[in-house]
Amino acid sequence: MALEEYAGDMSMCCRCSACKFVPLQQVKGFKHANVCPSISRYNFHFYSGGGRLNLGYAGLKNGFQYVPRYLDVLYNCQLCGACDVSCKYGMDMEVLRPIQEMRIKAVEDGHPHPALETVVSRMRATGSMVPVAGRKRGDWAEGLGLRNALEEKVEILYHVGCLTSFDPERQKVARATARVLDRAGVSFGVLGEAETCCGGRAYEMGHQADFLAQAAKSKELVEKTGVKTLVTSCATCYQVYKVLYDRFGLKDELEVLHITQLLERLLGEGRLKPSRGQEITVTYHDPCHLGRLGEPWIHWQGKKIPGDRFVFDPPKPYRRGTHGVYEPPRRVLAALPGVRLVEMDRIKEYAWCGGSCGGVIDSNPEFAEWTAAERLAEATCTGAEAIVTASPWSEKLFAQVLAKNGGDLAVYDIVELVDQAV
Amino acid sequence: MALDKEIYAAFAGVVGEENICDDPALMPAYFFTDFAAVVLPKSTAEVQAVVRLCNQFRLQFRPICTGWTGFFRPGTVLLDLRRMDQIVEINEKNMYAVVEPYVTSAQLQAELFKRGLCTNLKGAGAQCSAMLRGHGHLDQSMGADDRNHLAVEWVTPDGELVRLGSLGSVGEWFSGDGPGPSLRSLISSVVPPSCTPGVFTKVAMKLYHWPGPTRYSLTGYSPRYLLAEKPPNMMARYYSFPTLDQMWQAEIKIGEAEIALELMGFNVAMVAANITTSNEEDEAMFKRLSQEVQGPGFFVIIAGNSPDDFAYKKKVLETIIAENEGMSLKSVEDPEIEGILLTQCTRISASVRETFRPGGNFKSIPIMGQRDLTIRWAVGAGQAKLPLIEQGLIADDGGGFFGWGVEHGHLGKTEIFCKFSPLNPEARKAVDAWAEQQSNRALEEKYFALTMGPPEQIDSKVGPALSNYHLWWYKVLATLDPNEVIPDKGVSKLHP
Repeated sequence: MALEEYAGDMSMCCRCSACKFVPLQQVKGFKHANVCPSISRYNFHFYSGGGRLNLGYAGLKNGFQYVPRYLDVLYNCQLCGACDVSCKYGMDMEVLRPIQEMRIKAVEDGHPHPALETVVSRMRATGSMVPVAGRKRGDWAEGLGLRNALEEKVEILYHVGCLTSFDPERQKVARATARVLDRAGVSFGVLGEAETCCGGRAYEMGHQADFLAQAAKSKELVEKTGVKTLVTSCATCYQVYKVLYDRFGLKDELEVLHITQLLERLLGEGRLKPSRGQEITVTYHDPCHLGRLGEPWIHWQGKKIPGDRFVFDPPKPYRRGTHGVYEPPRRVLAALPGVRLVEMDRIKEYAWCGGSCGGVIDSNPEFAEWTAAERLAEATCTGAEAIVTASPWSEKLFAQVLAKNGGDLAVYDIVELVDQAV
Repeated sequence: MALDKEIYAAFAGVVGEENICDDPALMPAYFFTDFAAVVLPKSTAEVQAVVRLCNQFRLQFRPICTGWTGFFRPGTVLLDLRRMDQIVEINEKNMYAVVEPYVTSAQLQAELFKRGLCTNLKGAGAQCSAMLRGHGHLDQSMGADDRNHLAVEWVTPDGELVRLGSLGSVGEWFSGDGPGPSLRSLISSVVPPSCTPGVFTKVAMKLYHWPGPTRYSLTGYSPRYLLAEKPPNMMARYYSFPTLDQMWQAEIKIGEAEIALELMGFNVAMVAANITTSNEEDEAMFKRLSQEVQGPGFFVIIAGNSPDDFAYKKKVLETIIAENEGMSLKSVEDPEIEGILLTQCTRISASVRETFRPGGNFKSIPIMGQRDLTIRWAVGAGQAKLPLIEQGLIADDGGGFFGWGVEHGHLGKTEIFCKFSPLNPEARKAVDAWAEQQSNRALEEKYFALTMGPPEQIDSKVGPALSNYHLWWYKVLATLDPNEVIPDKGVSKLHP
């Protein structure tokens, strides 16, 4: 849907400010009441969800003025969806969708962010969102003897993702995932060097056409394998295959699982039996793409019913963050001997963003790090020894910030803990 | 309109370059208003300096903090107090909390719950400032409006710093009326048309005993949080009555008995809005509840300080209800719905469901005053809504109004609103006409005088009806605001 189609939603914003805070029932104290990194960091109302909608609505009426400050507002947003959840606690209106469309419109109108354009250009050239730096995508699997899903028939395709494939520090997660699946006797394969980017981050950066072109390549590749199930250890890739592809009619019947969902299933079936592990108190960071943004897409078409209420025919089912992947990672952690989970104040659908989403890690690393530092400070308040997540982007940024700022927290991807325990 | 470069530099010199914006392209973000600039002061000293610059350059200004905002004259300088966000002190012994403007009610209440204390959150919602003046669900037992403001730190319209009440003499926050200067009637009452001239930079809020849990244990996900376990010493019920008079008598008796933590004269449309998560659900629930009630009603929460206290309050409540032929709404007795209402109404977390969700906008007539008069007026105002409902111009709430006794009933609050779509000019016109007619009727039939009206209405009708108070107010304002930097004579408009 184009921005114009959200005019009604944008006109609904009453400037109540709920989009700036966690759902009010979940405010647990003075600390950790904020939910939007952008308004929290930059303070002006136009950095909030509501302020952005008001700008979009005014732009539709009077034309968009791509002045530097407007572009600064546009790109300094993780598109994490927290504002959307908090608003929809009380309201029936779209928040994140028009904000995303404003970014797409800016790119289409010739105002991409230069740093993000570089990233997208790289994707066009190499099929990767991260620097390839002379490495090959499948290098991480060297010596593991994994099956290539394009050459052998397997039940499940393990999609590794750009960051986990190419970042030497993240490749351990790919190897741990492969080991765990192997121990559980899962029939799985990888695409090795042939794997290509899902394209989702290009979409968040506003480059919708590039996303669609890349998604078509990825879809074709997955179809060639003939698998019915795709699993990934990357929260972003999960959201893209599960939600975004579905939205654009690219998913078909493919079952998309995040590794935590598959692990929960394998643990339940007794195919994984965790028996060892370290005594450790951890807190879990819900990646935005796995949590609120990972809620399945709802296909709906309808029209507003004329009259006093913002209601539609047929009734519009809103995605409110209710059905994200929140429990599987927690159940997996609960199954690991020695691991004790303590929760942060902001969790699940109202979790504070880890900082890397929406292209911000590339367009404004300082803001991304600030956002991650806020999350790490919250994690520290729990008394946990480690922060566990299920997203390579969050893990990378957390580790980077801890290395820079100091701190005693260890950072784990959840698969690493499972790998240690089985 | 951007600021003159010299003026911009002066403001930036106070708050820093990163805390001022005058880019016209960004001003539409501020809800109907094209401000000349937005500045973000961090401290009282910065507020003073900004206000003095406004005086020097003859720029009108308005402060806002968290929560809803009104409609302001284009060209106004906005002081967004967002960076003033600290709880300065929670004094458990003397039962007050000192807050800066951007502390939300939700934050303060969560901290107070941990200490067995609470404050009266305003009906506008827990996202609004903890220092906000106004009314809320807990008016019955926790005071209301300016009565909960103790000492105040106030930057006057010309930039002077005034410390009111005990703060002005002994540097402590415990009293708004002294020892020390008390200007309560000027800065906090409804006598100024509706808006304090100048800026409150710190306020001591009066605290009350909280008999509930230190934190509600919730399950589920947004937008439907459920109470995991109902506190054994709390109960929520909705009672309807055969007649308005019986409801009113029951309200008086409950106030006299001082048993209710909350008594909120919800109409069933508001109950339906609170317990549902979408407009469609809301509509269906409203129809269902409308069939269940026998007439007008109210929502009550009782909370005991001991099992015996709870049993006593419950027995008294049931007796009063029975004596007035009240009937408990079965839907609210459902533990799940009771839990939703209990948490929702004490934490004030769903106001927008009652107001903005249906159509995107609402227009309200809020009245502080004697309940017996205002209830009678509200019946007529509600009936006057029915043609608008029939024409599909406003959301159907059955012509409902709401209200409650304040401080166990010695004061009262009544309110009525129309919910409509801001995209429908015909609806807006009809609602404006309804509001004007009903305000005029209140005055003509001597129910009350609405002091929150537009300046021309205050000048022509309301002021003369109230001993020409407005002329005195304008003289006071001229002294406080020699350079006329307060727009609209201090009247705050909620709608353009």
